[in-house]
Amino acid sequence: MRPLRPSIKFNLLKWLIAPLLIINLVGAGMTYWLAWLPAEHAFDQSLADAAWALTSQIKQVRGKTSLELTKQAEQMLRADHFDKMYFVVRDAQGETLAGDRNFPALTDAVELHEPYTFDAEMNGEQVRVVALYVSIDRNPIYIGIAETFRKRNQTHYVILMSLFLLDGALTFFSIAVVWIAVNKGLHPLRELQQHLGQRNHDNLTPIEFAEHTEELAPVVTSINGLLDNIRKGASAQQNFLANVAHQIRTPLTGLRLQLEWLHQRHADEPETAHSTELMMSSVERMVRQSNQLLALARAEPSRFKPAYLEELSLDKLVEESVQHFIEQADKKQIDLGFDLQSARMRGDHFMLRDLIDNLVDNAVRYSPPQSTVTVSCREHAELTLLTVEDSGPGIAPEHRELIFDRFYRANDKIAGSGLGLAIVRDIAKDHGGEISVTSGADDRGTLFVVRFPRHGLAPTTEHIVVDLSKV
Amino acid sequence: MNVLLVEDDLVLADGLSRMLKSHGLSVNTVNNGTDADALLQRYTATVLVLDIGLPGMDGFEVVRRLRARGSNMPVLLLTARDTIPDRVHGLELGADDYLVKPFATPELVARIKALIRRSSPQPTQLTIGGLSLDTSSKRATIEGKKVDFSVREWTVLEYLMQQASRVVSKQQIIDAVLPWGEDVTLNAVEVYVSRIRTKTAGSGVAIRTIRGFGYMLEKSDA
Repeated sequence: MRPLRPSIKFNLLKWLIAPLLIINLVGAGMTYWLAWLPAEHAFDQSLADAAWALTSQIKQVRGKTSLELTKQAEQMLRADHFDKMYFVVRDAQGETLAGDRNFPALTDAVELHEPYTFDAEMNGEQVRVVALYVSIDRNPIYIGIAETFRKRNQTHYVILMSLFLLDGALTFFSIAVVWIAVNKGLHPLRELQQHLGQRNHDNLTPIEFAEHTEELAPVVTSINGLLDNIRKGASAQQNFLANVAHQIRTPLTGLRLQLEWLHQRHADEPETAHSTELMMSSVERMVRQSNQLLALARAEPSRFKPAYLEELSLDKLVEESVQHFIEQADKKQIDLGFDLQSARMRGDHFMLRDLIDNLVDNAVRYSPPQSTVTVSCREHAELTLLTVEDSGPGIAPEHRELIFDRFYRANDKIAGSGLGLAIVRDIAKDHGGEISVTSGADDRGTLFVVRFPRHGLAPTTEHIVVDLSKV
Repeated sequence: MNVLLVEDDLVLADGLSRMLKSHGLSVNTVNNGTDADALLQRYTATVLVLDIGLPGMDGFEVVRRLRARGSNMPVLLLTARDTIPDRVHGLELGADDYLVKPFATPELVARIKALIRRSSPQPTQLTIGGLSLDTSSKRATIEGKKVDFSVREWTVLEYLMQQASRVVSKQQIIDAVLPWGEDVTLNAVEVYVSRIRTKTAGSGVAIRTIRGFGYMLEKSDA
């Protein structure tokens, strides 16, 4: 439990256990009194009984009051297993007629025939005293009986110990019950938490939570409402991106054409040519960025429309972009090669071109000049594969997962949007495929492998013929 | 070689028209679909380059009406939208090709020229660097000196010259020389290219190998 952050569980336990402890404590106090008072009363009563018994032995012989107690009877009176017993018989003047002379004063007993109890000290020990004021033949007589506290203390101790054990057990049991009840009560909350925890972070579909308790239902409904809003917001954002990218395309194309014309016209004026070249490279960057934005919007899983899937061949898609790739590779003198075998699958034509485009662009962009990049595709019984391998510096294993995150850039020195591989992964996911990155042959460079499911497409035999095309 | 360009973005239309003119094409420009439709009823262009997102009548409708009048004028659609339905719709209506903005100019020019070749007689003279092919007399010269090619070599070279500066796959070369009516293996293409290279050495034309894919004929510095 972290006391720093408010916790429902902690609060529940606090508010249940603290009052329970107080109630237990008060209950224990009351039980103590209920057990101890009658016991004390019974002890006092037995002392009083002894006093009464003595009364019957007091005789008035010739105007003189005396206690006729045989040695045996006195022994019986004084004999007690635990306690020391004392007694005294006094007249109205305080003269001791019989018993222990050092017995405490008994004059507090004023009510006739009414035993009066009090604590006193005798022979250096605490004693309980019963004083009885009787009238024998019209002579006032005081009788006192006392006993030490040993028996009482023993009983006291037993009562307290029993109460302590009983109450301890009760408290422990109560806390256990409260703990279990709170945990059980919070179970749906924890389940909801787990349910939410297991969800993919970009999953914005409503929560389908079976165990809707009365209290959680509004929470789930609210979360679902929120998710719906986020989904709408994300969708609006995607539409906005797509629209902006579309709107930018036409003016960019116009700008590029005008610049190209200008460049052509002034090719023999180095300064002008230099300037137009710079402008054209900026335009190229803008074109690429707007294409990336559009690709990103298109690849967003929530926008993916399986209806656009068609049967197509990855090798043909690569062919469509070869010209563009070669021009890019030439700028860095990169040896770009292909190994394209028949690779059919079901997919979205434009999205897969975005995927291929980004993978190849990534390899060419991040490979040093004069290195080698090879694009290949092929099909197996269950899978259609696209691989892009480069002989560049490679990606450290600890960075391999990160490179697919949006805006993650492995090398800040090279211009890039940090979107390319995120787009690639989104598109692969949209098609039910997956992408992995390892080091290339001989543990050098980088090898990207995209695996697409074939969804029951029959294998072709064509690739046997195409195999001959290997150069 | 008349291109009718229908594009509502004036900057793009102007730039495109200048670029096409610099590639030796004559260009007429119209800025909306209604005018284009009206013009097409009394005028025949070699190629129609048509934007889809036009004010008034959109490009799809212009193509539909053109085909409804029985014209088989080659049509190249330009669009900023690149979704499957857009593309399929345009091609179903009878457009011949489809290019997404922002396109690369050489790509557009190559596509327009491909459409022109399809509908009109080939240019008889192909010249790159010091190498000239006269396709009607089947005479090849390097710096004015005659060079002999076999029929197959000639066909492959002619195709590479037509596609100069463009990457072509071996399969594309085979498809281009298919009229021979014989089986041509990918290996045979390699043999022809290798022979052409030997014969055109020093002509200012180089045939680059694109590893695992095909070839690209381009002007070389030599």
